[in-house]
Order: sequence, then structure tokens, then C-alpha cells
Amino acid sequence: MNDRLRRVLVAVAALFAVVSLAVSPVAAQTAAVSRAFDGHPDLNGVWQAIGTAHWDIQDHPASAGPADTGAIGAIPPGQGVVVGNEIPYQPQALEQKQQNFENRWTDDPEIKCFMPGVPRATYLPYPFRIIQGDKKIMMVYGFAEANRTIHMDKENPEQAPIDTWMGRSHGQWDGDTLVVDVHGFNGQAWFDRAGNHASYALVVRERYTPMGPNAIMYEATMEDPNTFTAPWTIRLPLYRRLEENAQVLEFKCVEYSEDLLYGHLRREPTR
Amino acid sequence: MNRTQNTLGLVLATASLVSLPVLARAADYHHVHVTSSNASEAVKWYARYLDCQPLADRDDGVDCAGAQVVFDSRPTLGTSQRTGIDHISFSYADLTTKMAELESVGVRGSGVRLQRFADGSTLRDVPGLFKYGFIFDPWGTRIEMVEDADTLGFHHIHLSATDPAATLTWYQEMFGGESARLRDRLDGLRLGDIWLLAMSAEGTPAATAGRAIDHIAFSVDNLDSAAARMRRDGVAFLEEPATPEGGRTSAKRAFIRGPDNVSLAVVEAGFAGVVTEMAAAVDITTDLQPYTVPRTPWGTPDFQGVWTGDAAHGIPLQRPDDLADVGVLTPEQAAARRERGTLGSIWGYESEWRDTTLGYVKSAPSRQVAMVIDPPDGRIPPMTARGQELRAAARAARRPLAEGPEDLSSWVRCITRSLVQTPGVYNNGFQIVQGPGHVAMQVEMLHETRVIPTDPRPHLGPDITSWRGDARGRWEGDTLVVDITNFNGRAPYQGSSDTLTMTERYTRTGPDTLEYRFTIDDPTVWTGPWTGMFTYVRGETQYELVEYACHEGNYGMTNILSGARAREAEAGR
Repeated sequence: MNDRLRRVLVAVAALFAVVSLAVSPVAAQTAAVSRAFDGHPDLNGVWQAIGTAHWDIQDHPASAGPADTGAIGAIPPGQGVVVGNEIPYQPQALEQKQQNFENRWTDDPEIKCFMPGVPRATYLPYPFRIIQGDKKIMMVYGFAEANRTIHMDKENPEQAPIDTWMGRSHGQWDGDTLVVDVHGFNGQAWFDRAGNHASYALVVRERYTPMGPNAIMYEATMEDPNTFTAPWTIRLPLYRRLEENAQVLEFKCVEYSEDLLYGHLRREPTR
Repeated sequence: MNRTQNTLGLVLATASLVSLPVLARAADYHHVHVTSSNASEAVKWYARYLDCQPLADRDDGVDCAGAQVVFDSRPTLGTSQRTGIDHISFSYADLTTKMAELESVGVRGSGVRLQRFADGSTLRDVPGLFKYGFIFDPWGTRIEMVEDADTLGFHHIHLSATDPAATLTWYQEMFGGESARLRDRLDGLRLGDIWLLAMSAEGTPAATAGRAIDHIAFSVDNLDSAAARMRRDGVAFLEEPATPEGGRTSAKRAFIRGPDNVSLAVVEAGFAGVVTEMAAAVDITTDLQPYTVPRTPWGTPDFQGVWTGDAAHGIPLQRPDDLADVGVLTPEQAAARRERGTLGSIWGYESEWRDTTLGYVKSAPSRQVAMVIDPPDGRIPPMTARGQELRAAARAARRPLAEGPEDLSSWVRCITRSLVQTPGVYNNGFQIVQGPGHVAMQVEMLHETRVIPTDPRPHLGPDITSWRGDARGRWEGDTLVVDITNFNGRAPYQGSSDTLTMTERYTRTGPDTLEYRFTIDDPTVWTGPWTGMFTYVRGETQYELVEYACHEGNYGMTNILSGARAREAEAGR
């Protein structure tokens, strides 16, 4: 390929990127969206994010993984999903993020098989299923038995009865976009394996906008005055798993975390 | 008002659905009415630890050296301490020995909790008065233990009052009795052999209604004339005189408000008739009416909502031998069984943990005799030789001290609770959400959620095994039938293995009932398949499921393992 052709292709690709960013949150392809019995978009199905946001929601180069895991354990490079790439941390919160990063191989809730919280559950490298009927919407994730009920039928926002890992979700339709407000977090979940974090004051507004029958543009805007100086947003597509027999399999990870958590308390200590 | 023939009743509400003991002196027939969560357990407790005798003519009370204490099974809002009726009191000739005996019982299960003074002791000796200490019954009734040789057995009722002198005057005007000073030191009222004492409260005493000691009951010969007189005296009526419908007794009664928001019952003589009807509630055992199951907009039966297994708590898996010919239990038997189940399965839990105690359980207990409905004798078929071998091997592998998490059950490890969600003392919630082609079922405990496809599709390949197996659903009329295969056998149900095939059948039998049947078919373990059944009731108005973050908060695992290591160190191993 000569240089001229390469330059043209890069320019075309860049143009596409700009165009797709400009239209993606809008229901530009409404005609192709699958419809449920009530005329709303039909989100039923198995969905999954593709990419490296589970490692780091911000831009990151390739780096080494845990010792003795070779290239399998290496962390691939990735383009971030944070709009503008920057997370507006308050100074102390940024320090906490850096500490989290240093201790990530023991402190990350994911390594302990703890529930991932929102929005992290969405872009873990596992599929999740949306069950959408006429009352609640459930999202059942393929990690740590995490799931949540999205109340479509309650006053919004109804106070969370107690702080939880997955928060309390209230949904409503904004045209073809499912808007979910989530609050009532316990402040212990992280955003990724790089230690990005928030406090219990976190409020997340998610937007699920169908891009056709087999893709959803997912956006989540985070507000937490304890941790951030301004709201910030992530945006990434979710893809429908098109295998005929696609199914979210039971993945009970507790037993794989027990050495990490309790190895020092074994009769023959392993840690 | 006829003052000498009054009956005094003290109702103690213990921490859950409890009947209160009624104390009654045989001579004057005064009685105390106590609310405990479980009358039959309370009878046993007061008999065992306070030397009372079960009443001969009713099964919910005791006689304590002439004073009757009757228990009322209903929810309570907590301990009597710091309410207007702070405690009741029992007297022993040798209190030091008695307290040592009670301390050795421990607090586990329906044990005895001793209240300690600031210096850690459980007994005080006030020269010129007597020795005293405090204990609690399992339902929150505070009991003062005293050493007063003048009055042994039931000793006094302690009113906590903002104005003790005025309070005693009020009681005397209302109910009679004789002003007296206990040991020449404590102002009180003598009601037959029972002392009614009133002392200054620290702060404002809480209302007694709903607490472990819910009220004191006095009996009168003629309630209407007594009520008329009280009304003239400006007494506030909490409940007008009436014969309660669906109540536990047929006696005509009224409730009035005493000083400091103490609830008092005034009961017309003839109190003893106990009515056996339960309060109106869904009786899931017999009240089946023709019912049209609602449909989802896409045409399947609609099971959506939050259900609970509370009504089925306490049903044994297999039919007990002594109930071989019984169709259904009586409501009283069913209530007693659920309470036994509550008390029998709480390990060391305080009453604050139990949903029944906290008043969350709204459904009448199931009258079903046993879960197993097939074989019809209610007994699980015999195990195969291989099944017996596997069971013996599993038992032999148990270690008294856990060497690691693997030695503990999948439930303790927060991996999975069970293949059958046998209802327990708490968190029996069960949420169903449906979409076209799928049914999601979430059990509250461990927040496990199964997503069951209802469109025809083959099971997973045999190499993909898992704890809860691979579920495939289909609609048969109004019933959702779920076939489950691909078990890894690591969470055995009653000894099941990895060759288990399980079939579940869910059917709405009424607006508030969802029948659940499970068939266990494991030819490795049993000589034939067997089927169990229980019924969920609708619980949406009671609570919604709240995230049950079990593993995330599993401090129990850390404590069990570190405890095991400490025991090994003590034993020098």
C-alpha cells in the first residue's frame, strides 16, 4: 500500500469516527430497532461489551500482568471509554485511585469475587442478559451472581432502603432510550482494574440507546461531589451475542477467591 | 366498681410473635399477660428456668406458685426495658445458686441472657432490702430476680413512672389493692400476693403497646359498669368494650390507657375460653378457589412479583411417623410448628434476626403435614447401595474443625444455598420477572438468580456442569415446567449426586399463592424418584428484595477459620 492510499484510508476512517461519534447517542437507525409488544425497543437478549474498559476505562498502553502468567496475563493496550479521557478527580480522590492501582492485585473487588457495581458490571468481559417484560426489567450479569432489578413502575427516585453494591435502579423510556438512574451505592465498588473509584454519594445516569437490532450505545454519567469536581461520562457500544445458543452461564467465582481471602487461615496456610 | 374481685393480667410481648404469660394468683385470680413470639416455647422456657407449671386447661400459660402467666403469640416491637412496665420479678430463697444455674444455660437458642452491672457482676445485694439481678427471656421480657423469703415465686410488676406516687394512686382508684411498702422501703400496691411497684423512670418511659410486656390485664365482674365508671373518671379507651372477633379468647374486654402510656386490659370474668380461630390470613392449605391465572401481554401465565416461602417455614420434608394418618394440621398445630421451626433453627441468633419475631411474616402458617407428596406416604424412597456408600463417605469426610473453606457447606461459603429453597427463619423472598421467552427467578438469600429459557432449545453439552445446573422451561397449560440437568453434584440436596435430574413445576393456584413442586430423580442415589411441594405466598406489600451481599460480607468465614486455628493452637496441634 502506498503512502497516499494509506493517508486516504486513515482520513476516511477518521471521518467515520467523527460521524459515528456525532450520531451515536441519537436513534438514527430507529427503523431497524426491534420492538417489544408495547412499542418500546426490545432489549431482551444476551449482550456484551468488547474492548479493554474492564482493565482501564481510560487510555492505557500495554503493560505486564501478574508474575508468571506470561503473555496470557499481559494487559493489552486500549482506547478509553471516558468521554474526553479525563476523570475530574478531587486531589485526595486521585491519590486514592493511585493507591488502589498499586494494590490492585489484592484490593480490587473483582479479584475478590465481589459484586462489580454499576457501571462496571456492564463492561466486564462477560455476557449479561436483559429480561424486559411489562413490569420490571432485570439485568443478570455473568460474574459474581450480580444482578439488578430496574424498577419501571415506581416513583423516581424512590429512596434506596439500604446502601448496596449494585445500587437501586429506576428506569424510564426517553423515546427509544432506556434511561436508568442508579443511586444507593455503598461506595466500595471500583470502575475498573486500574482502581478508578467513587464514594457512596455516587449517582449514575445510564442511557441504553438501540443502534439497530444487535447493538446498543451505552452511556453512563457519574456524579459524586465527594470524589469528582464535575460530572463525567463513559460511552461504549454493547453487542448482542448472536450465537444461536447464547446463554449467560453460571460462573460462581467465590471458590476462586477463597485462597486470596482466607488462605492465611487455612490449617496449611497458602498465603 | 368491685375492687376485691379484680383480676390482674400482665401482657408481656416478647420479641416476636409471642404470647405473653398471664400471671394469675389462684386466690384472687390476678393474672399477667405476656406477649412472646411463641406460646409453646414460652411455656417451656418459664417452666424450665423459672419453675412454673404449665396450665392444665390451656396450652399457652404457666402457673408460677399461684400466679398465672399466659403467653400471647404475636409480633412484638422489642424488650420491655424502659417501657412503662419495665419488668416482672421472681423471687428465690437462694438467688446466688439460681443465678449461677441460669448463667450456665447460656444465651444460645432459647437460652437465658443475664444483664450485667457495670462491674461485670450479675447480682447486687442491698442491705435491708434483698439481693437482686436481671435476666431476659428470649423474647425480650426483662425479669428481675430477687431473694425475698417473704414472697417466693412471682414477686412483683415494676412500673416505670414519671410520677410514681400519682401512678400508684391511679391504679388503686381503678383496680383496688392495698397501699403498702415492700420491706418498708419501696412504695407499692398489694394486689393479692403480687406487688405492683412504681419507681421513677429515667427519662420518659416508652409506650408498652407492642413491646415484650404489652399490657397488664385486670378482670372485673361487669365490664360495662366498670367502663362507665372509668369513662366518668376521664380514662382514655384504646379499645371499646367488645368481644374480639378472631381473638384468642371469647372474653369481653376493653383496653384503656394508664399513666405513662401503659396499656391495660380490663377483662370481664370468664377470660379462660380460648378461641381456636386464627386471624384472617391466606390459608394456603385449604382455601383453594377456582382461579383464572392472569396472562402476560405476550400470552404466557404471569407469575411476576415478589413471593415468600414464609408460610411454608417449618414443614418437615418427610411425614412424621405420628402424623401418618393426618390430612392437614389444625391452625394451632401449624402455628406451633412454625414457631418450633423458628426456635429450633436459629443457632445462637437473637430474636431480632427472625422475620417472625420482627412481625414481617404476614401469612398464616401452612397446614401441610410434610413436603414430600410422592410417594404418597410422604417418605423418600430407600437409597440405593451406592447412595448409602456416598452418604457414608460424605459423613466420614467431615472434619470437626474446618481446615479450609472447602470443609464448610456451599451455603456458609456463600456459593449457593440449596437446590430447593426450603424456607427458613428469614429472607424467604422470591422474585419473578418475565420477558418473552425467559423467566428470571431470584431468591433473596445469596441473591442467586436463574434465567430460565422457555423457548425450545437443547440443554448445554454434558461437559458444562454447574452448581445449580442447566434449566430449561416450558409452559404446560398454566404451569411452568422446568427441567434441570448438568449438575456438578457439589451442592447435594438430601444426598443427591451429579446424575440428578430435577423437575420443577410452578402453578399459580390463587391470586396470592404460587405452588411449587420439585421432583428429585437420581438413580445413583435413590431407588425411585420423589416429589416435594410447598406454596409461596405473595409478599409484595411486605418488602422487596434487598441485595443479599453474602460473600462480600462473609465475616463468618474468617471467624470460623480463625476460631478453628485458635482451637488447634490450644490443643497443641
